[in-house]
Amino acid sequence: MSAVESARPARARKRRKRDFWSIGGWIFLALLLIFSLVPMVWMFLTSIKTQFAAIEYPPQWLPKHPTLDSYRRLLSPSNDFGRDFLRWLGNSVWVSTATTILGVIIAVPAAYAFSRFRFPGRNGLFYSVLVRNMFPAVVFLMPLFVVMRTLDLVNTHWSLILTYLTFGLPLSIWLLKGFYDNIPIELEYAARIDGASRFQAFLRIIMPLSAPGIIATAIYSFIVAWNEYLYAYTFINSRELLTSPVGLRTFFTEFVTNWPGLMAAAFIMSVPVVVLFLVLQKYFVKALTEGAVKS
Amino acid sequence: MAQVTLDRVEKRYGDVIAVNQVSLTIEDGEFVALVGPSGCGKTTTLNLIAGLLELTDGDIYIGDTLINDLDPKDRDIAMVFQNYALYPNKTVYKNLAFPLQMRKVKKQDIDARVRETARLLSIEQLLERRPRELSGGQQQRVALGRALVRNPRVFLMDEPLSNLDAKLRVQMRAELKRFHQDINATIIYVTHDQLEAVTMADKMAVMSGGYLQQYDAPDVVYNHPVNTFVAGFVGSPAMNLLRARAAREQDVTRLSSGDGWSVPLNDALASRVATSSTDEIVVGLRHNAIRLVDGAATGAVPATVYTVEPTGDITFVHARLGDAMIVFSVGPASTLAADDQIFLQFDQEHMHLFDGATEQALAR
Amino acid sequence: MVNHRGDYLYILPALVVMMVVIAYPIYFTIRLSFFDHGRALQFDDLEWVGLDNYRLLLTGAYSREFWNVTQNTLVWTVFSTAGAFFLGLGAALVVQREFIGRGIVRGILLIPWVISAVAAAYIWRWLYHSDYGLISGILTDLGLIDRNIIFLDDVDLVMPALIVANIWKEFPFAMIMLLAGLQTVPEGLNRAAMVDGASTWHRFWHVTAPHLKSVTLITVLLLTVQNLNSFTTVFIMTAGGPANASQIWVTDIYRIAFNRTNFDVASAYSVILFGVMAVLGYFYVRALTRGDSTRSTV
Repeated sequence: MSAVESARPARARKRRKRDFWSIGGWIFLALLLIFSLVPMVWMFLTSIKTQFAAIEYPPQWLPKHPTLDSYRRLLSPSNDFGRDFLRWLGNSVWVSTATTILGVIIAVPAAYAFSRFRFPGRNGLFYSVLVRNMFPAVVFLMPLFVVMRTLDLVNTHWSLILTYLTFGLPLSIWLLKGFYDNIPIELEYAARIDGASRFQAFLRIIMPLSAPGIIATAIYSFIVAWNEYLYAYTFINSRELLTSPVGLRTFFTEFVTNWPGLMAAAFIMSVPVVVLFLVLQKYFVKALTEGAVKS
Repeated sequence: MAQVTLDRVEKRYGDVIAVNQVSLTIEDGEFVALVGPSGCGKTTTLNLIAGLLELTDGDIYIGDTLINDLDPKDRDIAMVFQNYALYPNKTVYKNLAFPLQMRKVKKQDIDARVRETARLLSIEQLLERRPRELSGGQQQRVALGRALVRNPRVFLMDEPLSNLDAKLRVQMRAELKRFHQDINATIIYVTHDQLEAVTMADKMAVMSGGYLQQYDAPDVVYNHPVNTFVAGFVGSPAMNLLRARAAREQDVTRLSSGDGWSVPLNDALASRVATSSTDEIVVGLRHNAIRLVDGAATGAVPATVYTVEPTGDITFVHARLGDAMIVFSVGPASTLAADDQIFLQFDQEHMHLFDGATEQALAR
Repeated sequence: MVNHRGDYLYILPALVVMMVVIAYPIYFTIRLSFFDHGRALQFDDLEWVGLDNYRLLLTGAYSREFWNVTQNTLVWTVFSTAGAFFLGLGAALVVQREFIGRGIVRGILLIPWVISAVAAAYIWRWLYHSDYGLISGILTDLGLIDRNIIFLDDVDLVMPALIVANIWKEFPFAMIMLLAGLQTVPEGLNRAAMVDGASTWHRFWHVTAPHLKSVTLITVLLLTVQNLNSFTTVFIMTAGGPANASQIWVTDIYRIAFNRTNFDVASAYSVILFGVMAVLGYFYVRALTRGDSTRSTV
C-alpha cells in the first residue's frame, strides 16, 4: 500500500516534466514548420497574383483575384516570354540529364575500383576526389573558362556538362563505394566461377545490386546540375542557350521587376527537383548519411 | 571429373606468406578436406585452385591441364561459398540457370537441367522464390544446386555448413557425404571444423601457418598425427600433450615431468624415445588412453579431479596432473567428484611421442 | 604480382575529368597568383611578379577591403553554421519522435534544402522587399513598426538578413545528418537511463549527445566549408552591397576577377582560400577516417 502511494507523486512529477519537453517540442516544431513553409507559400501566393496586386501596399495576404496568368505566359510557346522560358527549361533538362548519365557512367566503375581493388595510389586518389568539394566554385571559374576556351567549348552546353560532372562525381563515387563495400565479394567470385568474365560479373550481378545507390547518386547529380547558377551565368552568353536559373535574371532587366512572373518561374523550376527528391528521399537520405554516423 | 594436382603452390602478399610450398594430389572422385584453424591458408589455397587469386609460385593442374593462368570461368569448376553467394536479385530458378546461360547452353536444355537439379535436391517448390525468402538450409541446397547444375570437373566448397545451426549441420553433413557418393564427384572442402573433415572426407589435408602439415586418410591422421599441431588439432576433446624429460637408468627409460609424475616406458616406446634429438619429449594421450587405477598399479601417477562433465554415454574428467590440466574419460557410472585425489595410468599401446625440440612424431 | 593495369581502366574516365576540371585549374590558379597578366585575357604574356599580388591583397591597395571582407566572411560563416546546426539539431530531435504525419513533416522541412539556391535567393529578396515585402508587411500589421524596414540596403541589417535566409536553406542538411546520428543511439541505453531516473535533459546530455559527437563534427565541418564557399545567395540577394557590407570572400573574388578583371590578384586571393580549405579538408578527412569507417558524404 505504502509502496503504491510513494510511487504516485514520483510518477506525477515525471509526467509534468515530460509534458514540458513534449509541449515545448510541439511549439518548436510548429514554429519551424512556419519558418520553412512561409517563404514557399509566399512564393506561390505571389505567383498567382496579378502584377498590380503583387505590389500593393500593404500587401494582400491572399490574392483577391487569383490568376494563373503568370504560369500561362511562362508555359505558352505562343509568346516570346514563354518561348524563352520553355527553351531554358529544355536546356536545363538536357544539361542535367546529360550530366547525370555521364556521371553515372563514370562514377560507377570508379567507385567499384575504389571498393574492390588495392592498387597503388588508391588512397591518395580517393582523398583527392573527396577534397574536390572543399574548394569554392568561383576559384575554378576563371581557369575553367580558359580550359573551355582552349577546348572551344565556351558558350556551349558541353562546358556546363563537363563542369557539373565534377560536382557530382566525388559524392557519387563515395556513396557508390559504400554500396559496393557492402556487396559480398563472394557474389562476384560465384559469378566468375559460373562462367562470367570479371566485367560480366560486374555488369550482370553487381550493377543491378547497386541500383539504389545509383539512383541516389543520379538524383544528386541531377539536382546539383539543375540548380547550378554561377557557371551557367559565366560560360553561357547566348540568350537561347541559358539554363533556367540564369534565365530568372531576365525578370529584372525588364522595366519593372515582374515579381509574380519571377515567383511563378521559381516555382516551376523547383517542382521537378522537389518531386524527384521527395519520391526518392529514402534512398537519398540513407546514402548521404551512411558512414557519417558509422562511428 | 578429374584429378587435381598442386605442385609447390605458393601465395605471398608482400612479406606475408599465406600458402607455403603446398603440394598435394586429389584423386579423381575423392573427397578431400582442407582443414586448419583460421588464417592457416586453407581458404587461400581453395581460391588459388578456383583462380580467384593469382599464384605467386608453383603449378596447379586439373587432369593434365596446367590451369595457372586460366580464368575461373575456364577452369570448369564449381564452388559453394560459406555465405552461399546466391544472387539476391535473381529467383532460385535464375540462380541455377545462370551458370548455364553464361556457357551459352540452349534454352530448353537449361530448363531441363535446372529442373533435374532441383528435383535431385528437392527444391522444386522453391524455384520461383528469391534467396532472402529461403531458410539457411534451403539456401545451402540452392548453392549446392548451382554448383551441381552444370556438371563441373571439380567441386570446391568453402565452409558450406558453418552458417547453419547445429542440428541442420549434422543433417547436411550426411546429405553432402551421400551426394559425393552418388555422383562420385571430386570435392575439395575447406573447413575449420576437424569433425566435419574426419566424418566426411576420404582424405584430410591439415594446414597451419601456410604449411601443409599432414595429408592422409582421417583415421591415419587421427591415429598417427605427424606432429604436435596435428595431434592437438584433430580429435575432440583435444589430445593431452604433456612435456616430460626422458632418462635411462638400470635399462629402464622413464619419462618424468619434473612436477610430480614419472612413468617407466615399455621397450617399444623406449626405443622410439632413443631416436629423439633431445631428451625433451612431448607425450600425447587421447582421453581414452588414460585410465583410472588404484595407487598400487605400475606407472600410476597422482592427480586431482578439477571438474566432471557427464555427457550421457561418456563422462569427461578434467584433472590436474602436476602443473598441467588433462582430460580423460570414464564410464557414465563414475562417482568421481571435484577435488578427489586419484591415480591415473597411461595406456602405452596408445601413447604418442613427439620430439620436444622439433615437435615431430618419433618414428615407430 | 597482380596485374593492376586493368584496374586503372575503371577509374580512368573519372581521373581524366578530374584532371581537366580540377587539377589543371588549381595549377593554373597557383601559377597565375605569382604573375601579372596585364589587362589581356589571353594569359599568354605573363610577367613574374613574385609575391606582389599577395602583398597587394594583404597589405596594399586591396588590404582594407580584404580585411573588411574577411571579417564579413567570419561573421557569415560562424553565424550561419551555428544557426543551421542548432536549428537542425532541434528539428532532428522533434521529428525523431513518433507521431502521425512524421514522414510528411520531414519531407516539408527538407524542401528548402532541395530547391535551387537561385530560387531561394529570389524568394527571400522578395520577402525582404523594402516596399512590398511580406516581413515588413506582417510587422506593420502587428503594429510593431510604423515604417517598412529596409533589410537589404542597410549596412547593419543586411548581414543578419542574409544569414537568416542562408540558415533557412541549410538547416535541413544538419537535420538529416543529425537524424541519422540519432539512429545510432541504442534504445536500451535511453531506457536504462530512464529507469535510473535521469531527466529528459540529462538523458540528452549524457546518453544522446555523446553518440552525436562524430556526426556533429562532420556536420559542422561541412557546413563551415559550405558557408565559406557560398556565393549564390549573397550574389543574387545583394551582390555584396550595400557598400561591401555583405561582401564575402567568394563574391569578392568574383568581383575582383570578373568586374575588375584583375585575375592575378583574384588568383592570389583564391590560393589563400585554398590554404584555409586545405586545413579544414585535413580535419574533415581525419574526422571521417577515425575508426574504420571510410564512408560518408562530401
